Amino acid sequence: MASHYEAPIREPLIIGDKSYHDITKDVAAPVEGKANKQWWIVFIISMAAFLWGAGCMLYTIGTGIGTWGLNKTVGWAWDITNFVWWVGIGHAGTLISAVLLLFRQKWRMAINRSAEAMTIFAVVQAGLFPIIHMGRPWMGYWVLPIPNQFGSLWTNFNSPLLWDVFAISTYLSVSLVFWWTGLLPDFAMLRDRAVRPFQKKIYGLLSFGWSGRAKDWQRFEEVSLVLAGLATPLVLSVHTIVSMDFATSVIPGWHTTIFPPYFVAGAVFSGFAMVQTLLIIMRKVSNLEAYITLQHIELMNIIIMVTGSIVGCAYITELFVAWYSGVEYEQYAFLNRATGPYAWAYWLMMTCNVFSPQFMWSKKLRTSIIFSFGISIVVNIGMWFERFVIIVTSLHRDYLPSSWTMFSPSFVDIGIYVGTIGFFFVLFLLYARTFPVIAQAEVKSILKSSGENYKKLRDGNHE
Amino acid sequence: MASSKKYWKSVEELKENSSIVDTLRQNEFVEKLPEDAFLGDKETLESSSTTRRDFLKYVGFTTAAATLAACEGPVIKSIPYVVKPDDIIPGVPDYYATTIADGFDFANVLVKVREGRPIKIDPNKLVHGETNARVQASVLSLYDKYRLQKPQIKGAEASWNEVDKQITAELAKLSSQGKSIVFLTGTMASPSTSKLIAEFKQKYGDVRHVVYDAYSESAALDAFEEMHGERALADYDLEKANLIVSIGADFIGDWQGGGYEAGYAKGRIPKNGKMSRHIQFESNMSLSGANADKRIMLKPSEQAFALINLYNAVTGSNLPSKNTPVDAQIKAAAQEIKKHGSKAVVLTGVQDKNAQRIALELNKAIRSEVMDVEKPKYTRQGNDTAVAQLIKDMNAGNVGAIFTYNTNPVYTLADSDKFVAGLKKVALSVAVSMNNDETVNAMEFALPAPHYLEAWGDVQIKKGSYSLTQPTIRPLFDTRQFQENLLKWTGNNVSYYDYIKNLWTETVLNGSSWNQALHDGAITVSAVVEEETPITSTEEITENTEETEEVLTDLSAIASALVAATKSSDLELQLYVKTGMGDGRMASNPWLQEFPDPISRASWDNYLTVSQADAEKLGLENYNVANGALNGSYATLTVGGKDLTVPVYIMPGQAKGSVGLAIGYGRTKGMNEELMTGVNAFAFAVNNKAVQPATLAKGAGDHEFACVQLQNTLMGRGDVVKETTLNVYNDKSLDPKHSWNPVPVVSLDHQEVEATTVDLWDSFDRTVGHHFNLSIDLNACTGCGACVIACHAENNVPVVGKEEVRKSRDMHWLRIDRYFSSEETFAGDDKKKNEFSGLFGEQGSLDGFVQMEESSENPQVVFQPVMCQHCNHAPCETVCPVAATSHGRQGQNHMAYNRCVGTRYCANNCPYKVRRFNWFQYAENEVFDFNMNDDLGRMVLNPDVVVRSRGVMEKCSMCIQMTQAQILKAKNEGRPVKDEEFQVACSQACGTGAMIFGDVNDKESQVAAARKDDRAYHLLEHVGTQPNVVYQVKVRNTEA
Repeated sequence: MASHYEAPIREPLIIGDKSYHDITKDVAAPVEGKANKQWWIVFIISMAAFLWGAGCMLYTIGTGIGTWGLNKTVGWAWDITNFVWWVGIGHAGTLISAVLLLFRQKWRMAINRSAEAMTIFAVVQAGLFPIIHMGRPWMGYWVLPIPNQFGSLWTNFNSPLLWDVFAISTYLSVSLVFWWTGLLPDFAMLRDRAVRPFQKKIYGLLSFGWSGRAKDWQRFEEVSLVLAGLATPLVLSVHTIVSMDFATSVIPGWHTTIFPPYFVAGAVFSGFAMVQTLLIIMRKVSNLEAYITLQHIELMNIIIMVTGSIVGCAYITELFVAWYSGVEYEQYAFLNRATGPYAWAYWLMMTCNVFSPQFMWSKKLRTSIIFSFGISIVVNIGMWFERFVIIVTSLHRDYLPSSWTMFSPSFVDIGIYVGTIGFFFVLFLLYARTFPVIAQAEVKSILKSSGENYKKLRDGNHE
Repeated sequence: MASSKKYWKSVEELKENSSIVDTLRQNEFVEKLPEDAFLGDKETLESSSTTRRDFLKYVGFTTAAATLAACEGPVIKSIPYVVKPDDIIPGVPDYYATTIADGFDFANVLVKVREGRPIKIDPNKLVHGETNARVQASVLSLYDKYRLQKPQIKGAEASWNEVDKQITAELAKLSSQGKSIVFLTGTMASPSTSKLIAEFKQKYGDVRHVVYDAYSESAALDAFEEMHGERALADYDLEKANLIVSIGADFIGDWQGGGYEAGYAKGRIPKNGKMSRHIQFESNMSLSGANADKRIMLKPSEQAFALINLYNAVTGSNLPSKNTPVDAQIKAAAQEIKKHGSKAVVLTGVQDKNAQRIALELNKAIRSEVMDVEKPKYTRQGNDTAVAQLIKDMNAGNVGAIFTYNTNPVYTLADSDKFVAGLKKVALSVAVSMNNDETVNAMEFALPAPHYLEAWGDVQIKKGSYSLTQPTIRPLFDTRQFQENLLKWTGNNVSYYDYIKNLWTETVLNGSSWNQALHDGAITVSAVVEEETPITSTEEITENTEETEEVLTDLSAIASALVAATKSSDLELQLYVKTGMGDGRMASNPWLQEFPDPISRASWDNYLTVSQADAEKLGLENYNVANGALNGSYATLTVGGKDLTVPVYIMPGQAKGSVGLAIGYGRTKGMNEELMTGVNAFAFAVNNKAVQPATLAKGAGDHEFACVQLQNTLMGRGDVVKETTLNVYNDKSLDPKHSWNPVPVVSLDHQEVEATTVDLWDSFDRTVGHHFNLSIDLNACTGCGACVIACHAENNVPVVGKEEVRKSRDMHWLRIDRYFSSEETFAGDDKKKNEFSGLFGEQGSLDGFVQMEESSENPQVVFQPVMCQHCNHAPCETVCPVAATSHGRQGQNHMAYNRCVGTRYCANNCPYKVRRFNWFQYAENEVFDFNMNDDLGRMVLNPDVVVRSRGVMEKCSMCIQMTQAQILKAKNEGRPVKDEEFQVACSQACGTGAMIFGDVNDKESQVAAARKDDRAYHLLEHVGTQPNVVYQVKVRNTEA
């Protein structure tokens, strides 16, 4: 698909003097080698957090939602905050693999595999919350339109929560298929290199019998394109629908038509921040600096800056519209958000999401790895608070002042959140040790055009 | 079942020794069975498809099946009637008219009995019965496992025979020694009991009956007795009043026995442009003060002077008095009294005989039509002097025996240690009591008495108004009622039932039917029956007291005595009665503990109410913690050398220099430990006076309150509680919709239209069938909270305990929001908010809203009952993913608990925040050890309403079980339902007529009229929810 020529002005995407075989070796190394100490330390911490979270979930299911900090006025808090946060994080993967594929952005090739893995693992975390936040999770299957013998009972298609069910499950399945399709040639590569029969067998199964024929490659390219076309609208639809949980309600601060685009921008924003966090660590730990280059980091920083600014515009638009609407309840909701008892959360959100990405205007800062890492963490914190602010500050003081109260999390709320972070990292760490973390087949396709050594060779000829 | 019937099989059997019959009898099979045909034939046997293995399978299966079938199933304790009682039809409730007269509450009630269990108390409207929150909750006290269950002698269980033997022996001994025998009871007002005690006196000689009210009305009784020669209380028909001036009388609460709110509320609904006006002078913020058109803060000591000044100003006389800071307002009030003349009335709660006397004289002077002294009330009869004398006598060793009933002096007396010390010198001490309370524990004999729902009784609430108490269930425990005991001990073999019946036939009934009286629950006789004078002691006491007070006839002497007796101090403590707790006899009732106080909205507590100014001076504070819950400083309150650490609640409207503390809390015996809340304020009621000089100091640490409402002000949201003034309301030139009851407008196609006309949804065809609506009149609602408990009882609402309420997880389906104004008036709040300009600066909204969160020093108050609004376009219904909440054709918003998966989305999307989530399993859970956790307590559950499991949402159902039952009943009887037959628990309990329920499709119905009233509005109309609950704009009578 790619011609071998690339303009000399473009930075090389693969650093150093790499051959096809080098790429194979580099990508297969984490899978074939032994885990180092750091991996084990991080894994054990994540596992511990995950087990603690699982314990908290079981406690909730066994005892009741009362173990959380919720009350009659604030019926959702950390549960749905975490849900939206994780779904948002999941957005970068699809954006990178599908949208950037359609736009022929070759730099995505080094990062799409991990970004998609992150998407899937994040959606798994997100999917937990709608289930455990139910008072009777064992009846959770009632939200699915399954033909049943309960009489004429059927789901309520008016409910945005039901749309969520469809949106999230569609998203998860399409992402999974897309990811797996990309993985086939790479699994085949691992299969072919495997020396132990068990490993060979497993990777053989995972690669679905990939043979590497021209027909395989042709179908692979076609399927990728079709799936990219399918996944692209999902990038927009999933968070649009999640935002409708709030936008279709009657609660001031939730009932806002700006929510769909605002949520999508926020999702891409937080998703890229999470990809940034993960890849900065991974390129170091797995020795992939030659493939995940400073240029990748810089490009992602630019996306973070742009989406952060979109989100900032949305925040200000909300304030403006509240004032302009002349509706006193709407006005008070936003006044309370910015100056009420949860003002600290609001300004934390503002600082993290709107002010901090503006540093990326500076070339020096956005090419600093440490600074980028710091900002990516800050943005993730900020985006968590964005959801917290939307959910809790709108609910805690709504129409009738008699119902006003506050929310404070219990140890179970915190435990479950920490547990999902642990679970996420457990999955990601296992992935990093068993999956080809870079789409090596794709990267190989741009080696001749975007590899540093080849570029140098070519550029030298030009002079 | 074996049958002894014999059936003839043939005529042969008639013949004796018939061979055929014999053969048949010996041989079951007449013809030989063809065994050989299938056993003898080897071939057939071998070709049979049933192999040995199959046979073993069959055997195995049948054995297993038989074994399984023989296993014992779960034992469900339901026993069908072998012989069904005639009057019990399962599923159909019976109603009995009876009367509560527990010494504090007196009311004619109707008891709903299901399958033999009383489950609900309703007011007996046939005889103008009214119920307050406590009466509503009293049914739960019946099923209290902490009740005294068996007779005890010195702590050891004993039989009634043993008890009778010992007591009669002791009585005979004492009587022969000439020792005095004393009955110490709460107010009984029971003609038959008075007669019984008289008979007891005849038998045993020196017998005294001392009546003791824990919260004293002795002063008022003395004053009335002085004027009218009878120990009773004047009655007031507040419906007739055009002007009510109250000086420290919480007449909507429990002032002089209470029961005035219905008449009051009737006069408060503007009719023909008129409503009564109410001016309240008081120190604590009371229910009455909260409802007043004008409330003036006044320290308790100054209330006495204010009363004299008012008398002077109205009558133009010149009684000795002192100046008060509110003399100008007193003068203004006097002008109004003069204007309204006999349509005015003055009430006072000052606990001084002379003050009460002046009030009575003042009402007499203006010839108040409101006051009725001809037919006074008997619901309070306590005599403080007699009680004091009794304690003195006990300690002097002059009392031989003491019997207590309906009273708990060890808990309620300030000097209870003296009482306990005196008890030691009494040879025979007997407590007859339902509760296993403090007094029972201090006495030698503890005799269990039945709950009023298990007992017979009669009571004269008001002169000429006699009521009957009848049992509605067999006694649950080994109890015997007080009067039965008296009969037994006087050697009378008549049962108490026969005794009352005989007495009534002789006196009260005057020829009318006993059965009719029992059916109605009460009877009013015009000719007042002369009964035996109750030995309520005044004459006797006067003999015993050394200094007899001279009856003062000269008012100026009365006034100067009052002035002399009234001592001001820097800080005055005013003890008060909470409408949710009374005098503490029902403290073991979890419904009442969880009942939020109408004013403070705090449950599970009593606390010292302190004014903002005094709190600042002493460094006392109230603040909200991270989850919103309220904390308050502790303070040490000292009265006459005694001190107590009390939590402080900073109360708007508390007069500077005064503090308030509710009685009825701090019980320590005979109840669930979790319910032993608060402090015992009776410890401060020295000489049974509710006002005491006190000192206050900041204590260490903070108290955790459980408040159901944490934001006290309305934040200028005038469209939530709409109100106007009588002047504006009466102004016919105004169109209500565009002036005092504005309908919100929205822009539709660039046109301003009423928000209610814009609609996204299709509606049901409402013209067919019933369409239920509930109208709530904010003018008539006094905030008393009877409806809250009624709802609790009718709908099996769980009690969740203090910790959970503190986490804002109360389960009340119906709440009464109470708002304080932030400015002096709510109109002031609205004005302030509307004048906000910009964010910053003096009129900036940033500071402005923060200021509006604080209540005014002396705020206006409003009560607003809020339950599910049953929106025709309900926001909750659209968001439920499983359609667990959906709309009914009769207007109700249904909740299918079984379908609910518990996402709580509906609760979030409810603009009224009326949905309640089952955070835990509240029934049969050790952690929530209230009535739903024991078999006895669960007997109160309404079988028509399901008990919700954890994880599901619940909310007001508009008592669909009641409306459906009514519809079916009418259908069975082949007639349309009458308007007044449609009731919901809250509307039924509401004594003030604030809640009207019915079918708006019945054009003649009251609720249809209410919905069309000019005052009608919907809560948060602009949201477009189209509720089926309609409110009536509150009108304040600000005309001076």
